[in-house]
Amino acid sequence: MEHAVYLDNAATTPLDQRVLEAMLPYLRGGRGNPSSLHAAGAAARDAVEVARGAVAAMLGANPEEILFTAGGTEADNLAVLGLARAASPEKRHVVVSRVEHAAVREAARRLESEGFEVTSLGVDADGLVDPAKFAGALRPETALAAVVWANNEVGTVEPIEELAQICAERGIPLHADAVQATGRLPLDVGEVPVATLAISAHKLYGPQGAGALYVREGIPLEPLVFGGGQERGLRSGTENVAGLVGLGEASRLADRELEERAWHERRLRDRILAGATAIPGVRVNGHPEKRLSNNAHLTVEGVEAEGLVLFVDSLGYAVGNGSACASGSAGHKASPVLLAMGRDEREAFSSVRVTVGKDNTDEEVEGFLEAFSAAVARLRELSPLYTRVES
Amino acid sequence: MADRYNPQVIEHLVRPRRVGEVSEASGVGESGDAACGDVARFSVRIESKVLTDVRYKVYGCAACIAAGSALAELVNGEPLLGAARVSKQDLQEALGGPLSLGKEHALTLVLDALHKAFEDHLNREAGDILVEGYGGAANSGAKGVVAAMSGGVDSAVTALLLKEAGYEVVTVTFRLHDGEKGSRSCCSPDTVLFARDTAHRMRLPHFTLNLKELFNKRVMRDFVGSYRQGRTPNPCVACNAHVKFHAAAFLADRLGFKKVATGHYAKVADGPALARPVDERKDQTYVLWPIPRELLKRAIFPLGDYRKTEVRRIAEERGLAVAYTPESQDICFIPDGDYRGYVRKKVKVEPGDVVDREGAVLGRHEGVVDFTIGQRRGIGVSASTPLYVTEVRPQTNQVVVGRRQDLEVREVRVRGLNWFLDPREARFVQVRYNSAPVACEIEKGEASGEWVARLAEPAAGVAPGQSAVFYTGDGKRVVGGGVVASRET
Repeated sequence: MEHAVYLDNAATTPLDQRVLEAMLPYLRGGRGNPSSLHAAGAAARDAVEVARGAVAAMLGANPEEILFTAGGTEADNLAVLGLARAASPEKRHVVVSRVEHAAVREAARRLESEGFEVTSLGVDADGLVDPAKFAGALRPETALAAVVWANNEVGTVEPIEELAQICAERGIPLHADAVQATGRLPLDVGEVPVATLAISAHKLYGPQGAGALYVREGIPLEPLVFGGGQERGLRSGTENVAGLVGLGEASRLADRELEERAWHERRLRDRILAGATAIPGVRVNGHPEKRLSNNAHLTVEGVEAEGLVLFVDSLGYAVGNGSACASGSAGHKASPVLLAMGRDEREAFSSVRVTVGKDNTDEEVEGFLEAFSAAVARLRELSPLYTRVES
Repeated sequence: MADRYNPQVIEHLVRPRRVGEVSEASGVGESGDAACGDVARFSVRIESKVLTDVRYKVYGCAACIAAGSALAELVNGEPLLGAARVSKQDLQEALGGPLSLGKEHALTLVLDALHKAFEDHLNREAGDILVEGYGGAANSGAKGVVAAMSGGVDSAVTALLLKEAGYEVVTVTFRLHDGEKGSRSCCSPDTVLFARDTAHRMRLPHFTLNLKELFNKRVMRDFVGSYRQGRTPNPCVACNAHVKFHAAAFLADRLGFKKVATGHYAKVADGPALARPVDERKDQTYVLWPIPRELLKRAIFPLGDYRKTEVRRIAEERGLAVAYTPESQDICFIPDGDYRGYVRKKVKVEPGDVVDREGAVLGRHEGVVDFTIGQRRGIGVSASTPLYVTEVRPQTNQVVVGRRQDLEVREVRVRGLNWFLDPREARFVQVRYNSAPVACEIEKGEASGEWVARLAEPAAGVAPGQSAVFYTGDGKRVVGGGVVASRET
């Protein structure tokens, strides 16, 4: 079977061939440990530092402010747990939005079990955090706040700059999960005073298993991993050299091609939104303008997401059903993000996420829309919950 | 984590069979709910006990859509009994093997929708007779039996023993009320689903009948009404009198079967008469006395020849999951056992006086429904000797208390009698569940249809509303039974 047309770029992006080329030398030969003194070690160390420089450049940070991790989830965990545990002992309060990725949400839940009080901040129907409500939730004893830069499900872009200013004025560190925002929005920590920021290579056409946490200079952080003292003692463990090289190259390319990628994605995305919503009973979730360039999140009345995803898959198109679900099992939970936006469970179970990437084409998008419309029609014929809207 | 599906599942998803609704359906069934994520609907046309058309619809995951498609294909054109036998395992096979973890519920969901369509068909056929009561019709002599299946070990072993004895067994589970454990939640185990699964594992067809209206009318309302009138009802007796056997006989008649069976511990002796079972401690003849003679003639109680321990052993040996289910509770529609609380929710209850036999007020009570004759606890009056409830007077909202000897009676008036044998054969009477029978002589009472039992020794705690069951001289057979009448003041 030929490869499916890939429209699930929020789940992971295909590896850019240029990134692969940059990584290959570090996979093939000359395997040095960056901590070793010999030439092979030095070469590995240099490669890691070049990568660090590229990531720093993309974010407008100093290279010393970049900590490498094994991915976005680890970066989010390190930030949320590390900031909270490094805070002075009377600071036992944490604020997180209700549209955080599980990596932040579950880390906050962990803090709750350690005795922290967690404020879960609601969002509006588009998934936006209200800065005034956010400010109202902060307290003198707030150890940290965390808000996703752009939501991974519905793609809504949060007013991070404003939230970061509010936090900075009060001396509260703000963590921003920028895993989905990276490579789509210009991120500049010089302008946006976040304390920490998480990124992931595989959402950036880089390899899976590599990520980074930006930690602003002077922000105290407790490590999660102990050992050889790599990454300034904040993330021990021998570096994933090839992976980090991939992250560096992916960051360099993303920084350079940001505008043309975003423009291309937006064009395809808008075509999908227009084509899909032309079908009766298909609605868009997330903010109409303040949304990621590549995200089309759709609720299809009367159709359950999994069947729809597998149906279009059988027609050769890969899209996401939001958060993975195991229907009927304990894991079958409606997306907390959609529920936070005021959608009901049935709407949440009827939602799919279509995310384009830099390499998708107009033909692919047109083909998808045809497959999507055929699948929706077929599944609605099947659905006892859908009664045809009067045309 | 997302799991991969068998290619058969994807094939059914992309090319689902038999989608839609049957026009002029014989029955329609729906299972699941949208909040849970999945809904399945089946509609069937049944002509001469054959499924001549089956259509389905599903809102749900790929597994549900595919399972619906495979099931519709499997049962279309099949005889009703064959279709009612199609199990989760059969369906799984049609889908190319086990579904991934957490997806098995798809099989349960679509089977339940199909079975609800069967139920709808049967209930439509029954019309008012399953609301107003059913006396039975002429039936053929086929060696077929309808076995009532509650989901517990007794009824499962009953069906199994009959099957092994060569009967053509069809199982049926009755929906009696909405309070069954877990029935509110679509994803949790439900007694009906469990019973169906048990039947299917024995390769037996399974049906359901909706008897909620009948049960409410003849059992639950009577239960509440009795307490309000100061009587102590026995809902199992009411159910056996009006619901369970009638419904099983109805289904047997529809199928052309002669016999009906339940997992009661009792025997049917010649006459027919009800007789005590081998396992005396499990004896249920006390609650079976109201079965009409015509229905008793058709009844089989295979467990009458077994001890409970043997029944559990049989279930274990045959690998029935029900072997380990706990003993069922007293009153099925009050699972928490708080029947006073249940009654209080249904009727207005007012406080009143606790009095002695002479009418002197000794204290206050919170409502007559809290009291039953012979009760010692919760009277709330202190006395030098223990006090017992000797009478409940709903008309004056009084509870009468007295000493233990005040409870003793020498004479019991019984109404609403159902005789299996000649009344003159009665030598013993049992007036409480699991109490020892007392020697007696009986004669017709003054009121029409009333009989009076004169006891050889005094009996305590004879409560109006409970059953009085008469046994033969050898103590083995039930002569007949009736309901203890209220005392007249």
